[in-house]
Amino acid sequence: MVPVNKALRTLGVIAIGSLVVSLCVVLAMGVSKPPSILKAIQNGKAQTPEGLLPAAHMEISIWPDSMQGMHGAHGGAHPDFVSYGPTSHFQVPAHSVVTITFKQYDSGEKIWNPYFAKVHGTVDGSMTLDGKKVTGIDPNAVGHTFTVHGMNTGQPDMFLSIPLPPTDEESEPEPNGYAKPHIITATFITGAAGQYIWNCEYPCGDGSYAKFGNAMSTGGYMSGIFDVVDANA
Amino acid sequence: MWLMQMLSETGEDTTKQSGNRVSSFLSRRDVQQAIRAWVFWAVTLGGLGYLFIPHLMADSASKTMDIVKSTFMAFYYTSVPVAAVVLAIATQTVLHNRHTGTAPPPDDNPAIETNQMANIVWVVISSALCVFLLVWGLVVDNVVAEPSRAANATVVNVTGQQWIWTFNYPDAHKDTSELYLPVDQPVIFKVQSKDVTHAFWIVQMGIKINANRGEITETAVTPNKIGVFDVRCAELCGLLHAHMQTRVHVVSKADYEKWLANQGSVEQWPAS
Amino acid sequence: MASELITEDRTRHSAKKSVGIIRHLNLGTAVIVGALLAVTVNRIATKLIIEGDETWRRHDQIVMATMLAWFIGFMIGIGALVGPTRWFFGKDLNHDEAMFLAGKDMGIKRYFRYTTDHKVVGIQYLILTIALFFIGGVLAMLIRTNLGHESGGLIPPQVYNSIVGFHGLIMIIATIIMITGPFGNFILPIMIGARDMAFPRLNALSFWLLISILPILAATIALGGIPMGWSGYNPLADQGPLGVDSYIFTIVIFAISSAVAGANITTTAMKMRARGMNWSRTPLFVFGTVASVALALPAFPVFMLSQVMSAMDRAFGANFFNPEFGGSAWLYENLFWIMGHPEVYVILIPAVVAIMEITPVFARKPLFSFNMAIVGIFGIVGLSIFVWAHHMYISGWAPLLNGPFMLTTELISIPTGLLFLVILGTIWRGSVWTRLPMLSVYALLFNFIIGGVTGIFLSDVPEDAALHGSMFVTAHFHYTLMGAGLTGALGALAYWFPKMTGRMLDEKLGRISFWLVQIGFTVTFFGMFAVGLEGQPRRVEAYDIIFKNGNLISTMGAYTIFIGMLILLAAVITSWRNGEIAGSNPWGAQTLEWMTPTPVPLENFEVLPVVTTNPYQYGIKQETSS
Ligand SMILES: [Cu+2]
Ligand SMILES: [Cu+2]
Repeated sequence: MVPVNKALRTLGVIAIGSLVVSLCVVLAMGVSKPPSILKAIQNGKAQTPEGLLPAAHMEISIWPDSMQGMHGAHGGAHPDFVSYGPTSHFQVPAHSVVTITFKQYDSGEKIWNPYFAKVHGTVDGSMTLDGKKVTGIDPNAVGHTFTVHGMNTGQPDMFLSIPLPPTDEESEPEPNGYAKPHIITATFITGAAGQYIWNCEYPCGDGSYAKFGNAMSTGGYMSGIFDVVDANA
Repeated sequence: MWLMQMLSETGEDTTKQSGNRVSSFLSRRDVQQAIRAWVFWAVTLGGLGYLFIPHLMADSASKTMDIVKSTFMAFYYTSVPVAAVVLAIATQTVLHNRHTGTAPPPDDNPAIETNQMANIVWVVISSALCVFLLVWGLVVDNVVAEPSRAANATVVNVTGQQWIWTFNYPDAHKDTSELYLPVDQPVIFKVQSKDVTHAFWIVQMGIKINANRGEITETAVTPNKIGVFDVRCAELCGLLHAHMQTRVHVVSKADYEKWLANQGSVEQWPAS
Repeated sequence: MASELITEDRTRHSAKKSVGIIRHLNLGTAVIVGALLAVTVNRIATKLIIEGDETWRRHDQIVMATMLAWFIGFMIGIGALVGPTRWFFGKDLNHDEAMFLAGKDMGIKRYFRYTTDHKVVGIQYLILTIALFFIGGVLAMLIRTNLGHESGGLIPPQVYNSIVGFHGLIMIIATIIMITGPFGNFILPIMIGARDMAFPRLNALSFWLLISILPILAATIALGGIPMGWSGYNPLADQGPLGVDSYIFTIVIFAISSAVAGANITTTAMKMRARGMNWSRTPLFVFGTVASVALALPAFPVFMLSQVMSAMDRAFGANFFNPEFGGSAWLYENLFWIMGHPEVYVILIPAVVAIMEITPVFARKPLFSFNMAIVGIFGIVGLSIFVWAHHMYISGWAPLLNGPFMLTTELISIPTGLLFLVILGTIWRGSVWTRLPMLSVYALLFNFIIGGVTGIFLSDVPEDAALHGSMFVTAHFHYTLMGAGLTGALGALAYWFPKMTGRMLDEKLGRISFWLVQIGFTVTFFGMFAVGLEGQPRRVEAYDIIFKNGNLISTMGAYTIFIGMLILLAAVITSWRNGEIAGSNPWGAQTLEWMTPTPVPLENFEVLPVVTTNPYQYGIKQETSS
């Protein structure tokens, strides 16, 4: 029998173990990471209650399935999940006035907590719904919410919650096959840079407990990352 | 035989004899070594705890948290002498009785199968410590419950839901996503959940209570420091559990009144 | 090696004649039958179960039916039902078949069959335990890698939450079986002078039940994971993906397995002790193992029941735990912790008694206060049934019960203290033979005192209100389950390795591993105590930046533990294959397992021993005879 070097064998076991861990880390990181980041487009400056600030805007859509946006032509792993798009990772500039336009293609119903039927964190506590200025919608008819919040320390406070009303089921379908969307715009002022998350507070998962399963409990559909970054970044 | 002597002597109850036994026991070399090791460990552990633990713990913003911190230190100092006994015996044996090599050590150690005195002393001391812990616990548990009995307490309804906290001030008809509290005023939190179980935790005030759907649970505290503190969810509640946190603003009574009077339930941006 | 192969061939020829179907059943047939049945039932269920309003329940029903089919198919394929079926039709296995099942051929293949020899089952458990610790360890590294990175958030939350759940579940299974499995099966029967366990076939059953879980566990990954954590709290679990069904099945089958193993070990210890081995001459390891499995006997069925209820909630809308329709989350919490707290001692007691078995041998002194050890063990067992609600101080369930549960919890420190007394009394004035098993004795003392003291902090109601659900708790129970439990198991491994494999565990690699693991352990969990005190919640995938340093320290410590454990794995592999040959009693110990030759013959003893003293007569013999 060939004498095998004990030290080499030991190093071999350590190497294999470390390799397994590294592989698993890479695999785990890769699962359901959004493929792209949607960055707000910066254009000029705008007058705000806080003075003249750089302006930026972006457009986000909400669909009753995953056939649009980041999950691919066939809807990815869960074609039937409701989803935000075009991605779930958004980025806006710091110290700016940001306007997000939401196109809401999904239906809806009563929300658990009427607090999230109101607008929170925008410039004057309002948003526009199909061109009209409102500070909230009917809590018995909510489609989704876009609610941004984050960690307590190491970054500025940020809380933003935009209620998105459901589509009118009776309306003529759009060319893309979905019901006619509501158009909502919300304008808010960002502070210094920070990392936040967003999620939907309307229970729009499947029928399992509290309707917070499936799409609600899987990252990348009804939740994601919301970064505020310095303009030069 | 040493053991036999020891056992037979326990029966005779002569104070003088036992006094001699104690002093001769204490003057034994291994006992002296163990005592030195015990002093070393007691001083080291006590000193380290004194120096570091208060800085490791979250700052206090209530009497409850002061009690939490003093309880921690009291239990720590109580356990130091006990832990030091364990470590002292371990240290003494390792330093002085080590035997290396591949053959077993010779069978020439004292064959002590038991020691009635040691057993009794051990059980009595650990029972006494246990009683101390229990009495301490019951007393402080009563003290931290004081704010919940205050007649003038403010009531705040706390709602946990996946993955955000909201607060309702029933008297002021106000709803918020961050908590505002007046300093030195008892406040009772009535906590519930819209979905799964959460735990409402104000870190610097030392209070925590689960939020259950369909049940209202209560906890109470009197904030005693102006500042911004942390609410965190302490019960795994799904996808974004880690992010289920918000701030507590403890403000002067005057500032609190001003904040309450701020008409409308819509929060103004920027929320300071 | 060569001679072994020849004997194997010879026995195989003679076995052929009168051994029927069981000859052909092994792990391979089990997997095939299990898979076939699973696929078939899956097809049928998909057809039969109509799509109603509640589509999510339909998926749960299909998945559960499939898993049940796999489980039944696997048990048929491994041969678990051959004996019972024959018995049902009036004739049991014949002698040749029984000998075949016992592993008479001595070949490597008996490890992949429904072999009843307790030594084979012990080795099977050992390999399974090592494999589970490896997987659980890798998962721990994923957790620490994520948390070591800035403020977390490296791994997406639902993946991270499932990793935490898997780590918990796998480590809980691993720590529960880590001593009673390998050593309770291999060593305990020899230690009491028996030829086998009381119910050899139940022994094989308990092991293969565990193996049948592994594919179900692996399927969890494809079914969406177990993002509700290993505690499976409802109603969160009700909301979870199909992976939760895997979790439920795992728990149910594991509970059956541990009940079978528990009944078997208890009966063996009660009924099969050698002549003369009355209770005061029975090794403490036997008391501890029996106490542990006997404690599991009432505890796990409750957990199993909670999972059956959870399954009914998920698949049929039974609403046991759904507060929206009259169910109660508190009910689940109670059922879980009625198992959950005894379970801690199910893990801890075998580790402590293994250490108590080791201590006299390496200190060359009788075990100090044998009676106090027994009072300690059974005091813990008795009290641990009445402490569960200290996990629910802040649940709001019954605040009036907080005081009583604080009392029972703090009372447990008295019998626990007795365990310390026994170990300390044994090492006091004894030798310290610095071999691997003895290192574990000291490491256990050090870690267990920290785990115990932090447990006392948490038993205090107001203190728990501040610390519950924080990383402080995580660090505390790792000190008890890993610092004390795993350390005891590693001591037991080093101690009994020569008897089980015929070779010594490599002392040099073992020492390097020991120091890396213990230093890494201290670093990891002191970092975790610190962030816990500062206010970091448990089970978070991201955290406030203020906790960054403590988490970084913990991660570095955890990597150190992992490397240390890998070195131990290398030591086990190299020593098993070509380590130094061990004699029958390398430690000069007095328990019966060291009185039989190594390797241990098929029926353990040529002549069954007769016992006249307890096995801790170090330094006593000459005096009693004089
Ligand atoms: Cu939604
Ligand atoms: Cu929560």
